Amino acid sequence: MLNNVQMQVILKGTGYTIIIASVAVILGVIFGMLVALGRISTNKVLNKITWVYVWFFRGTPLLLQLFMIFYAMPLIMKDVFGRTFPMNPLMACFLAFTLNSTAYLAEFFRAGIESIDKGQLEAAKALGMSYNQAMFNIIIPQSFKRLLPSVGNEFIMLIKDTSLASTVAISDLLRTTKTMSSSSGKWIYYVYAACIYLVITTFIQVGFEKLEKKVGAYE
Amino acid sequence: MNKEMIKVKGVHKYFGDLEVLKGVDFTVHENEVVCVLGASGSGKSTLLRCLNHLERITSGEIYIDGELADKRQDDVDVIKISPEHSQELCMELGMVFQRFNLFPHLTALENVMKAPMLVKKTSVADAKADAEKLLEAVGLADKKDEYPSRLSGGQQQRVAIARALAMKPKIMLFDEPTSALDPELVGEVLEVMKNLAKEGMTMIVVTHEVGFAREVGDRVIFMDNGVICEEGKPSQVIDNPQEERTKAFFSKIL
Repeated sequence: MLNNVQMQVILKGTGYTIIIASVAVILGVIFGMLVALGRISTNKVLNKITWVYVWFFRGTPLLLQLFMIFYAMPLIMKDVFGRTFPMNPLMACFLAFTLNSTAYLAEFFRAGIESIDKGQLEAAKALGMSYNQAMFNIIIPQSFKRLLPSVGNEFIMLIKDTSLASTVAISDLLRTTKTMSSSSGKWIYYVYAACIYLVITTFIQVGFEKLEKKVGAYE
Repeated sequence: MNKEMIKVKGVHKYFGDLEVLKGVDFTVHENEVVCVLGASGSGKSTLLRCLNHLERITSGEIYIDGELADKRQDDVDVIKISPEHSQELCMELGMVFQRFNLFPHLTALENVMKAPMLVKKTSVADAKADAEKLLEAVGLADKKDEYPSRLSGGQQQRVAIARALAMKPKIMLFDEPTSALDPELVGEVLEVMKNLAKEGMTMIVVTHEVGFAREVGDRVIFMDNGVICEEGKPSQVIDNPQEERTKAFFSKIL
């Protein structure tokens, strides 16, 4: 079994995993909604910018994005502005994971909003509501129930993807496990890690299922 | 003659290359109930939707309550009307849709309260009192806390009428309000509309209910293929039509 020190290290690793994924999913929901609104907006500039954003962050590996932020950005800053730019690993993770999940969630949200019957927007307009009033009061609230499964899905993906954080020297759950295993020569730590991942993702899955029922109570 | 509430002059509407309205002129006076009849695809609904800017006309003029709301030529405004004024004029029109389009995530009461609170900044208390009165008037006081999914089609359409009335429009537009209803539910909706007509509401009703047009309509407009083919008193247009196309239509459905 685990001794006290090992327990603490594993808990810390688990903490990193949870916090990176949580920050990315919470900020991703907020920014993802804004990017989605940009994608369906009639403003051509906004449309183009958000398209390029989604194109880039969905079209390149998350690991590359993480490296670009952690390793390349300080170098770029130095070359362009001639001054050093310290980047802390945790900050780089928050940035990379948030930017990435924003792009994915934005596409889910766009599809969710577009799936709402267009009679809803017409009814809102006929009652004198502006486009923004209709979006925020009528269309987006209705899309919540349809969006929840994608948000839950993205959250679970992020929990697993946080293992990439080890590449910028963050001792997340997986890296901690690997270190313990290779220093002790025991495989059981991998089983512990698998269990911890499953416990977290189970909580998320069940939590979102409950939330879905609650949000969709009107149907 | 009463004041002109709606005046439409030379209105054309294209969807791409398809000309849906081919030069439509008509006037609706205050307190008048005008029923628009005609086959599917004759342009009735499009005409209604052009009035409150759910569609924009390609060319022609529209006046609402005596004021210019649209003057367009080839999809361009000839006279620019400020968005604020345009919205003001559109808000004099209330609309009821074929498919109800109630907001499914709000209760019946909230459906009626929402627009006044958002658009007119009515206080919650006032909006609620008003909404309760309106739901009572359409006979649904006991259903105010139900979500639309728990209401029958007829009840949903009556909530939709109350919701439109909550914005205190001067003119009500009905776009085939009973076409999506089971036959046994049509009567309750027509009853509400009849009461509204009795109270003097100016109404334009696109409908297939010839009985309603005959009984409640002050005037009937028969549309065919994007033009007004015949108009006049219901007894005249429905029972004694002059035009061949009108005769053909009513001989088929009566």
